[in-house]
Amino acid sequence: MKWRNRGKPFAIVVTILLLLFILFPFFVMLSTMLKSGQDVYTSPPFWFPKKVMWTNFIKVWTEYDLLGYFNSSLIIAIGATIFNTLLSVPAAYAVSRLRFPGRKTILYMFLVIQMFSPVIVVISLFKIIARIHLLDSYWSLIITDTVFTLAFTTWMMNGYFKSIPIEIEEAALIDGCTRVQTITKIMLPIAVPGLVTTMIYTFIYAWNEFLFALSFIQSKPKMPLTIGLYNFVGRWSTQWQYLTMSAFLALLPVLLLFYVIEKRLVAGLAGGAVKE
Amino acid sequence: MSSQAVVIKKSKLLNEEARLAYILLAPAVIVLVAFMFYPIIYVFLMSFFDTDKLGRLRSFAAFKNYKVLFQTKDFWTITGRSILWTVIGVTTKTLFGLIIALLLNIEYRGRKFARMLFIIPWASAVPISAMLWQWVYNPEFGLLNFTLQATGIWKNPPIWLGQPISAFFACMWVDIWIGIPFMSLVFLAGMQAIPNELYESAYIDGVNSFQKFFYITLPGITELIMIATLLSSLWTFNDFNVIYILTKGGPGGATDILITSVYKNGFEWLKFNIASVMAVVTFLILAIVSIVYAKIYFGRERK
Amino acid sequence: MKKLKRFLLIAILLALLPGFIFAGGQKEKPKVTFFWALYDGLTEDFRASLQDAFMKANPDIDLDIVPVPWKNMHDKITTSLAGGNPPEISVIGTRWLLELMGMNAVDEVSKYVSKSTLDNIAPGAMEAKINGKLMGLPVAAGARIMAINSSITTFVPKTMEELRQEAIRVNNPPNVYGLIMPGKKHTELTDFAYYLLAAGGYFFEIKPDGSYGKCTVNSPAGVKALTFMNQLANVDKVVQKGYLSMNRMESHPVFYAGKAAYVFIGAWVESAMKQAKSNFKPIYAQIPPFKGNKSTPLIITDSIAFFKDAKNLKAAGKFIDFFYQDKWKAKFDELVGFPPVTISASKLPQFQTPLYKTLGEAALNAKGWPLMDGWAEYSDIIWDAVQNVFLQKQTPKEALDEAAAKIDKARGM
Repeated sequence: MKWRNRGKPFAIVVTILLLLFILFPFFVMLSTMLKSGQDVYTSPPFWFPKKVMWTNFIKVWTEYDLLGYFNSSLIIAIGATIFNTLLSVPAAYAVSRLRFPGRKTILYMFLVIQMFSPVIVVISLFKIIARIHLLDSYWSLIITDTVFTLAFTTWMMNGYFKSIPIEIEEAALIDGCTRVQTITKIMLPIAVPGLVTTMIYTFIYAWNEFLFALSFIQSKPKMPLTIGLYNFVGRWSTQWQYLTMSAFLALLPVLLLFYVIEKRLVAGLAGGAVKE
Repeated sequence: MSSQAVVIKKSKLLNEEARLAYILLAPAVIVLVAFMFYPIIYVFLMSFFDTDKLGRLRSFAAFKNYKVLFQTKDFWTITGRSILWTVIGVTTKTLFGLIIALLLNIEYRGRKFARMLFIIPWASAVPISAMLWQWVYNPEFGLLNFTLQATGIWKNPPIWLGQPISAFFACMWVDIWIGIPFMSLVFLAGMQAIPNELYESAYIDGVNSFQKFFYITLPGITELIMIATLLSSLWTFNDFNVIYILTKGGPGGATDILITSVYKNGFEWLKFNIASVMAVVTFLILAIVSIVYAKIYFGRERK
Repeated sequence: MKKLKRFLLIAILLALLPGFIFAGGQKEKPKVTFFWALYDGLTEDFRASLQDAFMKANPDIDLDIVPVPWKNMHDKITTSLAGGNPPEISVIGTRWLLELMGMNAVDEVSKYVSKSTLDNIAPGAMEAKINGKLMGLPVAAGARIMAINSSITTFVPKTMEELRQEAIRVNNPPNVYGLIMPGKKHTELTDFAYYLLAAGGYFFEIKPDGSYGKCTVNSPAGVKALTFMNQLANVDKVVQKGYLSMNRMESHPVFYAGKAAYVFIGAWVESAMKQAKSNFKPIYAQIPPFKGNKSTPLIITDSIAFFKDAKNLKAAGKFIDFFYQDKWKAKFDELVGFPPVTISASKLPQFQTPLYKTLGEAALNAKGWPLMDGWAEYSDIIWDAVQNVFLQKQTPKEALDEAAAKIDKARGM
């Protein structure tokens, strides 16, 4: 959108104020993660650590094995992202481009999944996961995270495919391309931004998922970051300096990912529902 | 190629179409059914049975659980509060999302960085964000009230989580805070897809910013707003972590909503049948909302 | 079409792959899973070295000590039991035991743990002995005591009334608070319990055969206790600011920070103060009774339960025998700060400090939680009553009458 020049400085000021407002807890995080245990529990509190504790950074890696948690989270998040894409892209193509009986039912069905909170189904899911011998495996989380993100990704890709003019595809079909070729060679390249959108959504979901990880993972080496972070929450007090330090570190991969693909992500979310 | 050939190709396509569609849908549907069919059916079953402490079905109870629950007055308060929670939550998220999207749509240096910063509330895990806010709200060690007082913005800020009304809104805000980035991103994306020519011709016509927003921007992203608010309603209604970590439903039950009651009944008290009834009620409410939305959505699609 | 089919085949294969890999099953060593509650003060290092040392000594057993945050322990156990896949052993709050027995989920400890280990357990710690059978092995037992910040006051009150007077005297908010009172729900009802017991009351009438009768929180003692709490919080205003928004975990740090004169607390106080680098010396004393009553502290124990449906209980027993040697268990006690439950460890020099002496005395007259199915729900009902009084929605009598009626109704009395 083009703003006339006099509006722009005003908008930038508003943006900065809003950022200060929204990021308030983030600043608290930054302040807390560099404090000592004593400074954390000082009242009245203060913003700048009396002594900046860089050792907090080292401690979370050495004493609490943050690396192992990062590793698990990466496997789960990447796994779920790939798995979700493999399932949602063909499904979205079908509901967006093909006419067949039951199309709306299928779209509804995806939504229904979102109406049941993980809290409600976790025990039944646990039984299934145990039955197929997937307890304490990354697969248990990859699959459940996929299931709980399929609704969003399929609806989004559905919208995205629709926004691609049908003529392009028809031309390709007439030129003798097979359906598969049109999907892989024509639709997907155009839909890359949409794909990126759904992928980052799934990634963030899986990266941050807590309840299933708590329930399905039974051994220390396979625990993801979210569970690892909770280890700083004791029974009688919380070690805020380590919790915030690790939470900050857990944030970085997601922010990095976002920064790298920001252009595509935004363009991608756009295509989602806007049809010509 | 002649137009006749296209028609033939097309009709052949139609024959293949349904079959192809089912093949393409198969993997997703198989996974969904394999993993969600049983859990969902089981929720319904439990709501009609007496269950033991492990959620196993004991004896058929017909509508007994429903009756028991519907007769407690707390249940209706809690249901009402859940609806209020969702309406306020989704509306505020949408408004904030729109404002931020408009701001992030302006071109200036550092915009990319600003976009990344706005994503932060979404990028960290919900339980962790809720804990962080608990720390921020802390009346003794928290930096929120300290800063409000030190800067003179608010000399006498409330103990956020200590009184029923402020606790409700304090929880509400955390849920909103977490949901804003998703909304703003979706809307931002939608705005970028609106052709510039529309704005340029409006500029020539001397239309002011507000008119541009209401006549060009908003209609351009209506459909996105629909999908985003629908999904957000489902998520907000079922957001359990925020309340559970901040107040555990208190003080005096002021922040108890359906999903926290489900958790309390199911996981803490092991009354799985009652928890299931609440889940079914949740499902019915959300299903009605979704059907209304979908009707409008499919209605627009036909045009 | 061919390509598409190949793509789908791969997708489906991928979906089934994990099943093939794991269904094959590795039938090697018996595997013992232990849900290890993360007490404050326990280090990852200790967990890892215990696990390694046991596996080294018993190469034929695979041991997995799974760290679980306390907050999530109940959920995790419930899910795994309901899902039919419990761990061999887990740390539990002893108050959950009746509920677990109601599910027929736990097994007798003596079937798996050697006699010499059991003989070494202090008889007073055997709270989990139900109908003569030990259903949970005590892992941590601690009575609650009072800690006093000696740089604010050195007065050791003998009665609740004296405590109140002194709290009012030293109270100078927001710099100094008389005492700490958590007003936000947490899973235990500890704070009301302290005052209730101090007034000579209890949660239920105890029948001659030891079973529980009607709920008695609305007895004169109960009403007195809650009236007193409300007076401290809302009339005298000697408790920490925003007490209604703070649970135990959030309010105790106010004491560690040196800002409150008195706190009712448990064995962990010393390790928690060390962690918070508190700069004052605490005095330990018994939680005082109301005038004319006997000192009755609250004691809370945690146990290790053996789950029937698990496969390798024998091996798990072997591990417990290993763990309960002084070498490991005393180290564990030292880290978490609890007085040892084993006789041999309690004689060690590190457990002879003033704190342990006070804890030991407290244990002599202490009462525990009612061991009954449904306690989680009933304590939540009482919590609501307490909060309603704090919020001035009801008088103590009204609130407790309502709570008692609700509890009796829920128990079908």
